[in-house]
Amino acid sequence: MRVTYAHMGYMNAPVRHMLESLAVEVVATPPVSERTMELGTRYSPEGACLPYKISTGTLLEGLDSGADTVVTMCGAGKCRFGFYGTVQKIVLARGRKIAFHTLDTERLLTDLYRFLRQAAPAAGRLAVAKHIALVIKKLRALDALNDAKNFYAPRAANPQRVIDTCDYGAGEIAGSDDFAEVNSCRELVTETMRSYCRAGAHPPPKVALVGEFYLLLEPYANRWIENALVRQGVEVKRFVHTGGWAYAKTLLQFFGFFDEEREYLAQARPYLNHHVGGEGLKSVGTALWSARHGYDGIIHIFPFGCMPEVVARYALKNVAADYGLPLLTLSIDEHASEVGLATRLEAFVDCIKRKNQGSRL
Amino acid sequence: MARLQLPAIKRDPAKILANGKATAPPVTEKNVKEEKAMSINVGIPQALLYHEFGELWRNFFTNLDIPVTVSGATTKRVLDRGTSLAEDESCLPLKLYLGHAESLLGSCSHLFVPRIVRYHRDFFLCAKFAGLPDIVRNTFGLNAGQVIAPNIDGYRPLCRLGAIRTAAGAVGRSLLAGAASYRRALQTWRQRPPAAGGPAVGKVALIGHSYVLRDPFLGGEIIALLAARGVATVTPADLDGKAAYAETRRHAPEVYWQLSARLAGAACHYARRPDVAGLVLVSCFGCGPDSLMNEYLEQQVLKDCGKPYLVLSLDEQTGRAGVATRVEAFWDLVERRRRQ
Repeated sequence: MRVTYAHMGYMNAPVRHMLESLAVEVVATPPVSERTMELGTRYSPEGACLPYKISTGTLLEGLDSGADTVVTMCGAGKCRFGFYGTVQKIVLARGRKIAFHTLDTERLLTDLYRFLRQAAPAAGRLAVAKHIALVIKKLRALDALNDAKNFYAPRAANPQRVIDTCDYGAGEIAGSDDFAEVNSCRELVTETMRSYCRAGAHPPPKVALVGEFYLLLEPYANRWIENALVRQGVEVKRFVHTGGWAYAKTLLQFFGFFDEEREYLAQARPYLNHHVGGEGLKSVGTALWSARHGYDGIIHIFPFGCMPEVVARYALKNVAADYGLPLLTLSIDEHASEVGLATRLEAFVDCIKRKNQGSRL
Repeated sequence: MARLQLPAIKRDPAKILANGKATAPPVTEKNVKEEKAMSINVGIPQALLYHEFGELWRNFFTNLDIPVTVSGATTKRVLDRGTSLAEDESCLPLKLYLGHAESLLGSCSHLFVPRIVRYHRDFFLCAKFAGLPDIVRNTFGLNAGQVIAPNIDGYRPLCRLGAIRTAAGAVGRSLLAGAASYRRALQTWRQRPPAAGGPAVGKVALIGHSYVLRDPFLGGEIIALLAARGVATVTPADLDGKAAYAETRRHAPEVYWQLSARLAGAACHYARRPDVAGLVLVSCFGCGPDSLMNEYLEQQVLKDCGKPYLVLSLDEQTGRAGVATRVEAFWDLVERRRRQ
């Protein structure tokens, strides 16, 4: 069994480490690149959304390098994500013999456990459970590092140093085998990042990053938007986290502690009054929260044609108008270019900074 | 006559920050009485699921002695207005919906925009139906009282009752009166006569959403083009819903959108039926479910059925000539196949 799976931001390295520790053979695929996007676009329906195309691309790259087992995720709901696996299977299995495993996000923990038990028959029950717990721990540590980077980099004299430190720390955490080591590594790296900060500087402008899950989490898809913003001295708060999501979807949901829907519904009223699938409700809820908590701007990023986010867009337009906040809407498809995105980001940051200067005078 | 205001209202940010809500006139007893006294007129946009449930909704209100205004048939003007009102990535039917809704604003006191999330045990509707009332409110700056938006999010009778209470309460009627009116409206709706078909030289199945096929501006044109050549058309609506869902469960069990399941079931059924000479998949640009479903149907059903098929995608720039050329070429292909 040679396994391949779709990439999503910094989820890749810890998951690979988990599988390899359990003696499952993983086919290494390069990070998402232009080639991935081209490959995915060629083998996807024209109107499919960008996450579909990119994940098809990464899976094809994996299969071309000799994988014979594909692991994908799907989630029932109103959005297209739940139907990905069904259609991808048709394309991927053309002319090949592959095994297809789909993990349902509604019962992620049990599906993941079952798959690992099957893929790693030599590993004991306890080892599988331990590695699931460890990978979630690592992903949450990576979330924390990323948040710390987004906080400290705009306050540092040289933001690039903070970004490099964060990347280095992420690599260390991904390869770690021990719970305590993950903790100490996270603390050490965070402390290092903090030491780069200038004392007594003005607090930087704050921007809330909301939108669709995959586009927020896969840096190639959003063209490293977080790093681009912190380099320009803007603090970024992203509300969707890989580890937080995995934690909520596995442990919390499994034990029934979690009702994300109710929480975001209360936040999003009165602009959006029902769950619309995907991240739609969360985008509106968190944007409204940021508007009430002194943020200077909102960036809404989603794949072109995303159904829940288009509904959210109607609401966000009014949120921005009512609270007088600048709103940048970035709809990304396979033709988006890094330069076009950079231009719009720079203009947006200029707009925020000028607005803040105006209010300070 | 109460009239709705167009979105020219300037919102007061201070007020919004104070109470965290969009500005709405304060509800006092006097206001409530005034509103009751004003004549109520419910507007229903003739788009999206109106093409499926319009008669039911209309009868529900007329049984309660509430005047109902239905927006007229789609015109180029409605489409243009909808396109400029909607966010540019919305699907074509949603743009039409907003165009229709706007045409009602001047003459109605309320808009009826139900939020239909799911009404079948196994299926959901797409995200746009779940967010429709919010889309309408956010686009036109309407307050909650002006939009009658019952939540339909379940298949149990209790959920239906809740929806009836919301709809009846919004026009000042009791739950009991609402339930009686709904019952009668449902009976009439169920006894709709099936569409009559005349003699034809051949039959083509059009596979598309009812709000596309029944809109004279979109699917109507294709039906007229085929009818001009003496070709009869069948649509998923001609197939009994239960039969269509049973077919879907057998051949495409992964489908979870209700409207797409209907189309998938109809496609499987018509692909097998000997009197259907060819199939046309009609969808709109920007339709999320269709973007994956069309690929699925093409690969799983249509390629193996041995009948000619055509995938047509409509958008607001679609020219009549372009559609006509493709439909005519398709029919020529069907005829050539039949002669062989």
